[in-house]
Amino acid sequence: MKQILLITDGCSNVGLSPVVAAAQALSDGITVNVVGVLDGGDLGEYGAKEIQEIAHAGGGMSRMASTRQLSQTVQMMTRKTVVQTIQQVVQKELKSVLGGEGAIEELPPEKRSEVVRVMDELGETSKLRVALLIDASASMKPKMAAVEEAIRDLMLSLQSRQGISELSVFHFPGNGHGDDASLDLDWTTNLSGVQSLFPKLQMRGTTPTGPALLQVIEHYRGRDDRRRGGEEDGMMSGYVV
Amino acid sequence: MVITGKWRRRRYRVERMLGEGANGKVYLVERDRRLLALKVGADTVDLQSEINVLQALEGRAGSRAEPFLHDVDDLKLAGGKEYPFYVMKYVRGTKLPAFLAARGAEWFPIAGYNLLQRLAELHESGWAFGDLKMDNILAAEYGHVELVDYGGVTAFGKSIRQFTEIYDRGYWNAGTRASDAAYDLFSFGVLCVQLFQEKALYRHTAGTLPQNRSPQELLKLASESPELRPFAGWLERAFAGGFRNAEDAGAAWSVVMRRIGTGGGPKKRTGAVPGWTKALFLLSSGALAAVLYWLLLGQG
Repeated sequence: MKQILLITDGCSNVGLSPVVAAAQALSDGITVNVVGVLDGGDLGEYGAKEIQEIAHAGGGMSRMASTRQLSQTVQMMTRKTVVQTIQQVVQKELKSVLGGEGAIEELPPEKRSEVVRVMDELGETSKLRVALLIDASASMKPKMAAVEEAIRDLMLSLQSRQGISELSVFHFPGNGHGDDASLDLDWTTNLSGVQSLFPKLQMRGTTPTGPALLQVIEHYRGRDDRRRGGEEDGMMSGYVV
Repeated sequence: MVITGKWRRRRYRVERMLGEGANGKVYLVERDRRLLALKVGADTVDLQSEINVLQALEGRAGSRAEPFLHDVDDLKLAGGKEYPFYVMKYVRGTKLPAFLAARGAEWFPIAGYNLLQRLAELHESGWAFGDLKMDNILAAEYGHVELVDYGGVTAFGKSIRQFTEIYDRGYWNAGTRASDAAYDLFSFGVLCVQLFQEKALYRHTAGTLPQNRSPQELLKLASESPELRPFAGWLERAFAGGFRNAEDAGAAWSVVMRRIGTGGGPKKRTGAVPGWTKALFLLSSGALAAVLYWLLLGQG
């Protein structure tokens, strides 16, 4: 299972539309979730609409959260997305076996029990990768401590799963001139050795959300190319409901 | 309002709402002159996964004479929208703070002990309760305690399904979020601190940087409460994950209870004999001696 979690507090203003980029992620099998962090102010009509559309195009969900609720919101979204991803796969299986919509609700309660047991097992044991994409434009500066705390807290939850969970962290705009995004932390299963996630961050004005998303998708692709022919990434192959 | 199950056609008359959990709302209902609790879920998968836990517990718990889970079905609203629900035993009781406020803090040790016993029943079957918090505990007559809302119950070794920050071991930088017996006992410890140091606990969590949260801070708060002071050693062990399970922890808890004497306030009733009893004793033994003396002399 692959997820991108975008944490932002405003509207994109440079390059490709992030909604288009999110649609590309989804077609690559990556779900895109978006958190709009607000403290006091709000994202404005445009910002609020944009995060909704990005999540919609990316097959994920969007939420507004204050810095205080950030950890909890990030946890909840990641967990729910895992459940939903599995639900979609199971639904497809049910549809081919039983016809109809394939919705779990169509089954009588006794039958649901077994299906949900399998889903819970998959949710706990399948391999999960989450790439965090952090908006580091100037207005995010006072929120970065809360962002880092939320990332560490997410890692703690993911480490408690039975399946392998990996996390990577990007911020945008990137450090170099003209860079859309910079990689802060490559795929890892452990953050305990990492002192600070964003040690020398230069906060800049532009918000190239779309191009940054594309870069994360590329990063996923690079990983998958290296793996092709090796171990299988598909999580459901062994299970038929 | 009457709810009729879509599959099994059982009818329930709704009396009132009892509460709201993470997975849905719970109502008090009546069927065949019997009061039951009915939980309506917003999401079929989430609710079913909770039902699966209850069914597994039902299968294993030989100690429960009365069934806990009564029915599982769906209901259809007038608008055509369907919701899953299940029906369970109705548990009467009040939350612990209200119970202790009404009956007195002297009921704390026994209520705590009974709560550990409830947890022990789960641990014995290989589950952690997970989301142990004030809202999920009901206390009744004589310190009887029941757990409600099984949405967080997680088999040992898996990641805790639901938790609430301040009770969470990970939040206090004291361990993982993987299910084990010690996870529940940590939450139990926070619950004790919350019972007697609620304001100080909230002040602490609001004003502390995440990386500085630690069980030591919880122990410091506990040491400032006269009710918790006797349990300081127990709490330290619980926060350090030092108990094998809730049964183990319950045995240690009851040792503390015996030491402080749970019947009354601090040590009075089990202490020395009051002065007037002694005086009465002396007086009556004096009288006895006199009678004996008179009898013996009379015999002679």
